[in-house]
Amino acid sequence: MTETAADNKPKLKSDQMFINLGPQHPSTHGVLRIGLTIEGEIIVNAVPDVGYLHRGTEKLAEIRGYHHCVVLSDRWDYLNAMGNNMVFCMAAEKLMGVEVPERAQQLRVLMLELNRIASHLLFFGTYGIDIGAFTAFLHAFREREMVLDLFEMVCGARMTYNYIRLGGVMKELPKEWLDRCREFVPFFKKRLAEYDDLLSFNPIFLDRTKTVGAVGGKEALAWGWSGPNLRASGVPYDMRKFQPYSSYEKFDFEIPVGKDGSCWDRYYCRVREMHESLKIVEQVLGGLPEGPILGKGVAKVPKAPPGETYAAIEGARGDLGIHLVSDGNMSPYRLHVKAPSFINLQILQEMLVGQKISDVVAILGSIDIVLGEVDR
Amino acid sequence: MTDKPSESDKPDEAKKEEAPAAKPAPAKPPAKPPVKELPKPVFNEHPTHPAYQGRASRLLHANRMAPNRVWEDKWRLPRYRNGAIMLAGILGGLTVGAVLIDRFGMTVWMKLWNTLFAVLGRVAAAAGASADSVAAAKAFAETSPWIWSPLKVILVLHVILVAPIFLVWWERKISAHMQSRFGPMYVGWFHGVLQTVADGIKLLLKENIQPASADSWVHRLAPAVVCFPAILAFAPVSFGGDLIAADIDVSVVYIFAMAGISVVGIMMAGWGSGNKYSLLGGLRSAAQLVSYELPRGFAIMPVIMFAGSLSLVRIADAQSGTWFGFVPRWFIFYPVVGQLSFLIFLIASVAETNRTPFDIPEAESELVAGFHTEYSGMRFSLFFLAEYAYMLLACLLMSAFFFGGGNPPLPGLDFVPGWYWFLGKTMALVFLFMWFRWTFPRLRVDRVMDLCWKFLLPWSFANIAFAGLYLLF
Amino acid sequence: MGNYFSTIFGAFTAILKGMSVTFKTMLKPATTVQYPTEKLVPYEGYRGALLFDADTCISCNLCVKACPSFCIQLENATNEAGKKIAKVKWYTIDFGKCNFCRLCEESCPTKPKSVWHSLDYEITFFKRDEMVRCWQKGFEFIGKYFDREAKEFKKPEGQVQIQTTQQRCQY
Repeated sequence: MTETAADNKPKLKSDQMFINLGPQHPSTHGVLRIGLTIEGEIIVNAVPDVGYLHRGTEKLAEIRGYHHCVVLSDRWDYLNAMGNNMVFCMAAEKLMGVEVPERAQQLRVLMLELNRIASHLLFFGTYGIDIGAFTAFLHAFREREMVLDLFEMVCGARMTYNYIRLGGVMKELPKEWLDRCREFVPFFKKRLAEYDDLLSFNPIFLDRTKTVGAVGGKEALAWGWSGPNLRASGVPYDMRKFQPYSSYEKFDFEIPVGKDGSCWDRYYCRVREMHESLKIVEQVLGGLPEGPILGKGVAKVPKAPPGETYAAIEGARGDLGIHLVSDGNMSPYRLHVKAPSFINLQILQEMLVGQKISDVVAILGSIDIVLGEVDR
Repeated sequence: MTDKPSESDKPDEAKKEEAPAAKPAPAKPPAKPPVKELPKPVFNEHPTHPAYQGRASRLLHANRMAPNRVWEDKWRLPRYRNGAIMLAGILGGLTVGAVLIDRFGMTVWMKLWNTLFAVLGRVAAAAGASADSVAAAKAFAETSPWIWSPLKVILVLHVILVAPIFLVWWERKISAHMQSRFGPMYVGWFHGVLQTVADGIKLLLKENIQPASADSWVHRLAPAVVCFPAILAFAPVSFGGDLIAADIDVSVVYIFAMAGISVVGIMMAGWGSGNKYSLLGGLRSAAQLVSYELPRGFAIMPVIMFAGSLSLVRIADAQSGTWFGFVPRWFIFYPVVGQLSFLIFLIASVAETNRTPFDIPEAESELVAGFHTEYSGMRFSLFFLAEYAYMLLACLLMSAFFFGGGNPPLPGLDFVPGWYWFLGKTMALVFLFMWFRWTFPRLRVDRVMDLCWKFLLPWSFANIAFAGLYLLF
Repeated sequence: MGNYFSTIFGAFTAILKGMSVTFKTMLKPATTVQYPTEKLVPYEGYRGALLFDADTCISCNLCVKACPSFCIQLENATNEAGKKIAKVKWYTIDFGKCNFCRLCEESCPTKPKSVWHSLDYEITFFKRDEMVRCWQKGFEFIGKYFDREAKEFKKPEGQVQIQTTQQRCQY
């Protein structure tokens, strides 16, 4: 820091204190440690420290077959497990040249959007708790239970689905699933209106979040942000519109874009995304084509031809990408996950400097990270 | 990897059978392989806890609990119907009970009292004392302040110590139903009413841990210093009519003074914990409490101006009667002044009792811990008790100041005794406090201070000016 | 000036709207289940604890290869001449490693499947030994664990039990 004229004034001698935010703390973001150096109430230095949830999945993937890697992929961003499955399967299908049938593509879209709703609901609930509104959390989980029940009906699990497979999806929808999904849509629309009344436009919440954490569009792009965070800063970048995958181009939805990149904008972007995802779900339910759910050409033990590929989708947290290198064996040679939460985290070391301690939780919550993805 | 039945398994024999036959023979599907008889469903009772054995248990099929289905035909749900009937029954029963006690209670009590002294008289006569001494004893017992004052004090003490049991249970139930869940259901015969008692016993049995760096006596005295003024402040509060422990002329000032002493206790708690975060939290909390005492006091000024007295009894009396025959003369109905005073007093009271949205000291406020972090066991529960006692006090004051405290809302309803109305209004305001807590997020500390000094205080001054104008005309 | 009052009024109405949401939710029935005395039965197809039927297993090792966590082990039975037959001698699943992915059930070629997911989600153990479950001919569907101190196979008491009729794939 350069000397300014202000430094020459006699200042109050204040000690700098080093405290750890985490790895266990009441805001439920997983095991993240931020080493904060504070001077009074203002933060002088912030160092995010990750790795508490590192499980070496990228290395594990090198000794497992492709079907096994799908199971591994569930556990990266465990709140958006369908997205992880999807991106890995996209990469592997690109390498192997597998064609995914139409019905499977639309089922994938359906599951991805429902999973996005579930993930954003959890964000909504935990952000409410961080700010102090306890009721929002339980309301969000009540709706999330309905989405998880839908997933349980279709694939048997509530968090690590293993549903999107190489070439298609695992199972056909049960008989009453479409009706249950159709019941869910209007119910959830009413609840979304309630969430706006309860939390989004609450003056206390606005006061707490609209004034902190402003990130401009240029700065967001420079730090490599993606997903709802980037869109809240004003950049209308969404992989589903820019590089549509899996028949997203057939659906009509908007991308919510924020204005000034404050915490409230990031929060509200995600709430509006829930509306848009619900629109997509309605459209898929309206016209799901018949057909096979699994493409041809996927062996029991698939071997990908040598080569490398990169596939990316719009995950709930941002631009989730997979770089897959194969050398012809049944395991990938190298599997790298471009995790949006890991990249979104980096801005904390600059953004938190100069903020008050009470705003740290609001800012951290609004970036919406999941440690499973950060640490892999 | 799919689960679709493989087409190749279709019976080849059936196809062969069909082709040569002249009349179409029914295609026989192959005999299904004999499925091993699966064991009958076993309901897995909790294996080790004897309390769960023998309780009525059920398996519920998941598709019955989807919220949209539960809410659509909620009146067909037996538990909802029965719950509504029960609530209505309880309220009705309380009202009827209150009316009956009011009408017949005194006569029944006097009968019992006189019978007691008649019996005592006969015993005394048998022992040789004169009838005069028995009559003198009776008069003494009936009128002496040596007996009635301690009795009133003990009664008030019991009210304050027992009320939080009910209030905590009520808060847990209300918060639960606002969050679509049940709350305590297990302890106690009816929907977990004894849950707070169980929690209190648990806290009593816990070890009182004292940090090594704590200032020992300050740490130990702090909960008492916070709790005593709460109890003392209830002395001049009238629970409707002349149910009052001490009718002081300056009761309002006395109550606010007592509420102010608890700030010292909080600072003692913050300092005595020997923990810099507790100290910071305690200081913040103390700053918040002291700041909000000002709007509280100033918001009451118009009420005192209208009633012309500082005594709670006289303030309540000044609100008896009606305008136009049906609008009760409660201070809250006075145009502008009443509503403004009520709102300022309400917000300031919520802040005084450290409840959300002003609960920075109480909640896990990010890094700075609250002043009661280093307290465990009964000392912690004393803080808790003090918070609920102050909340009850604030609601009692509000119903006394603004809602007529004891006066019925409509003039024809005064067969229901005054204390019932008072209690009802207080409980409605307590519900309002709880409603606030579970709806709103937390305000940041500096915004709390902003709200007090830049918003509530100027408006309370303006309010006094309006009241003066009102009185002038 | 007008802005000041309109902000106050706007804040007031927003607060009242939020309060009405919680009030309305309070009047609606609760949607939770009192867990130990009321238990939810998952939907069919739920991937609960694994069960095994030693009689239908043909010891083909497909599940062993399909498992991503390498938690299944088995050994072929041999007939009197010492030749391997299509029956399993013993079959072990380490529930500590199982991640309930259903790949073993999908790869099982027998009809009905020899290894399948039940609807049981109350999978708790008191000892680590109970996590490694072994099946042999004659053991029940939930298998037995080998108690290292007692040196014998024991049925797990009060833990993995069959919650209700399980989903055994007929395909």
